[in-house]
Amino acid sequence: MTVDMSVAVAGMKLRSPVLAASGAFGYGTEVPLLDRRALGGMVSKGIFLRPRTGSPPPRIVETPSGMLNAIGLQGPGVDALIRDYAPQWASWDFPVLVNINGESVSEYGDLVGRLDGVPGVAGFEINISCPNVEQGGLYFGNDPRAAAAVTEAVRRRTTLPVWVKLTPMVTDIGVIARAVEGAGADALCAVNTFVGMSIDLNAYKPRLSFRTGGLSGPAIRPLAIHLAHQAARAVRIPVIGIGGVTNAEDALEFLVAGCSAVQVGTATFINPRAIAEIHDGISAHLELRHLNSLAELPRYLPRD
Amino acid sequence: MFLLNARITAMREVARGMAVISIAAPEIAAIVRAGQFVNLGWAGVFLRRPFSVYRADGERIEVVLKAVGRGTSQLLAMGPGDVISCLGPLGHGFDLEAGSRTAVLISGGLGVAPMPLAAKEASALGMRVTWVHGARSIDELCSESAGDEVIWATDDGSRGIAGTAISAAPDGDVVLACGPNRMLAAVADRWPEALVAVETYMGCGTGVCLGCAVPLTRGGYDRACKEGPVYRAADIDWAALPSHLSYAVTV
Ligand SMILES: Cc1cc2nc3c(=O)[nH]c(=O)nc-3n(C[C@H](O)[C@H](O)[C@H](O)COP(=O)(O)OP(=O)(O)OC[C@H]3O[C@@H](n4cnc5c(N)ncnc54)[C@H](O)[C@@H]3O)c2cc1C
Ligand SMILES: Cc1cc2nc3c(=O)[nH]c(=O)nc-3n(C[C@H](O)[C@H](O)[C@H](O)COP(=O)(O)O)c2cc1C
Ligand code: FES
Repeated sequence: MTVDMSVAVAGMKLRSPVLAASGAFGYGTEVPLLDRRALGGMVSKGIFLRPRTGSPPPRIVETPSGMLNAIGLQGPGVDALIRDYAPQWASWDFPVLVNINGESVSEYGDLVGRLDGVPGVAGFEINISCPNVEQGGLYFGNDPRAAAAVTEAVRRRTTLPVWVKLTPMVTDIGVIARAVEGAGADALCAVNTFVGMSIDLNAYKPRLSFRTGGLSGPAIRPLAIHLAHQAARAVRIPVIGIGGVTNAEDALEFLVAGCSAVQVGTATFINPRAIAEIHDGISAHLELRHLNSLAELPRYLPRD
Repeated sequence: MFLLNARITAMREVARGMAVISIAAPEIAAIVRAGQFVNLGWAGVFLRRPFSVYRADGERIEVVLKAVGRGTSQLLAMGPGDVISCLGPLGHGFDLEAGSRTAVLISGGLGVAPMPLAAKEASALGMRVTWVHGARSIDELCSESAGDEVIWATDDGSRGIAGTAISAAPDGDVVLACGPNRMLAAVADRWPEALVAVETYMGCGTGVCLGCAVPLTRGGYDRACKEGPVYRAADIDWAALPSHLSYAVTV
């Protein structure tokens, strides 16, 4: 018996519920030891309209069961992405979504406008964990109105799937989730990294040149499962769980907590075969429980 | 690139607190080039730890290390029979071209790591190899060497020339160097065309996370794990490269 592992996320059919998270696979063209059959889809490294150099080193710090990163959204800009990467994606047998970043509402909209219709671009993941430069650097993702404004601006420019990636640095994720659902998001991704800090006791200063960084890995998993669950309870659109998934059990926890799919980032740095192992482990779990498909997996999702 | 569960087959001490670990990794041993590295993982650490390949024969690769933190201490506490996860070979090593007559290899402390393979490749291309082998003192100087001529240098004069490896080094058609980033910055001043192996913190080691940024003189960053870790010395913006990393703590 082979288990049906496919899932539809807001109309987009994925052959596997395991996706590659933004920032852990670059643009997908240099991924080591990639086992494509297991991959439901890939989200590209975050992109802005213009090229960005990123932060000075050190950009990475190991922490207990996790890491802090301050890459600073280094990237080649949208023109290079369209020229160098999208044509390759067009020939792949899994969808690639572009992780969209901006410093203003209009920049998000313009970026999606540029990418809409480009062969190889299957949809968009909107990273609202960016500072809003026009509004004094407040994060779009912390403010339901700003989050909704970005979602609307993007929605107007495309009919492709729009997934909005939520930040965990909020007091009530349900409020933001409902705001972006109302503004036309097709799905939510929960969550991005937690802001953290680590101090070098030789230099008496932060280990990261950027001072703070995003915490990822198993250290955030229980927090992320809770936030993904809260988001899923608050909305009717699908939620994709992210945060510290390293094995099939971790992924199943997110799925049972109400997620339609999961994304895997940091774990792949340690184990380049993580995605395939997670996929196969989920399938083995379903088989063991005599479930014919992922859709039959029991969910724990009382609605708000 | 291979991902292997590899057995440690031997361990030997080469200086006070400095050991060479042999690992059964035939697939990697067969193709690794001087200056490339492996990313090692085991249960006690979260991220993998990068190590240059020190030597390689048909079956085994070797790495040389000292305890500088939690991971390296754990690795040194392992022994023959223990199995570790070995990802490699990674990175872009020393590009040596036929036609040069002399190669000067300069190492400081743990910067010996890529040199035996570099000496072997340079010799195979017909170069006369001089290895300038430096450390703080004789106890911290790796006892192993290679090449046609070896010049020892210690800061305190306890072995060979008293002074730094750089001050003890002759000129050569090609100069290769490895050691603390601070030492490599000094190499860049004297030999802008030298090929140097740098170190940075690494997330993935495979080019996908952009964590290993190396600042370039032409502006921007590239990846120590992919385009590097070997660079033309003049291409690196040394002032912007963190110099506190402990790779060669002995210099
Ligand atoms: C390409 C490359 C080749 C290397 N080759 C060798 C070698 O042949 N022999 C050797 O002894 N060392 C080598 N190093 C340095 C070695 O990787 C670090 O000393 C080691 O990771 C420290 O781990 P730790 O757990 O003992 O230290 P901790 O300080 O406890 O480590 C904490 C974190 O910081 C990272 N880190 C700490 N120091 C360094 C460092 N100096 N460079 C990079 N990451 C660091 C660790 O990987 C880990 O993620 C190399 C580094 C690079 C980038
Ligand atoms: C090195 C690195 C780079 C990242 N870059 C991005 C990015 O460009 N855009 C984004 O939305 N998320 C980015 N993320 C966040 C991840 O996509 C993910 O949300 C987070 O790491 C938690 O998942 P994990 O624990 O599986 O890594 C990055 C994470 C890491 C570790
Ligand atoms: S360590 Fe991840 S890109 Fe170099």
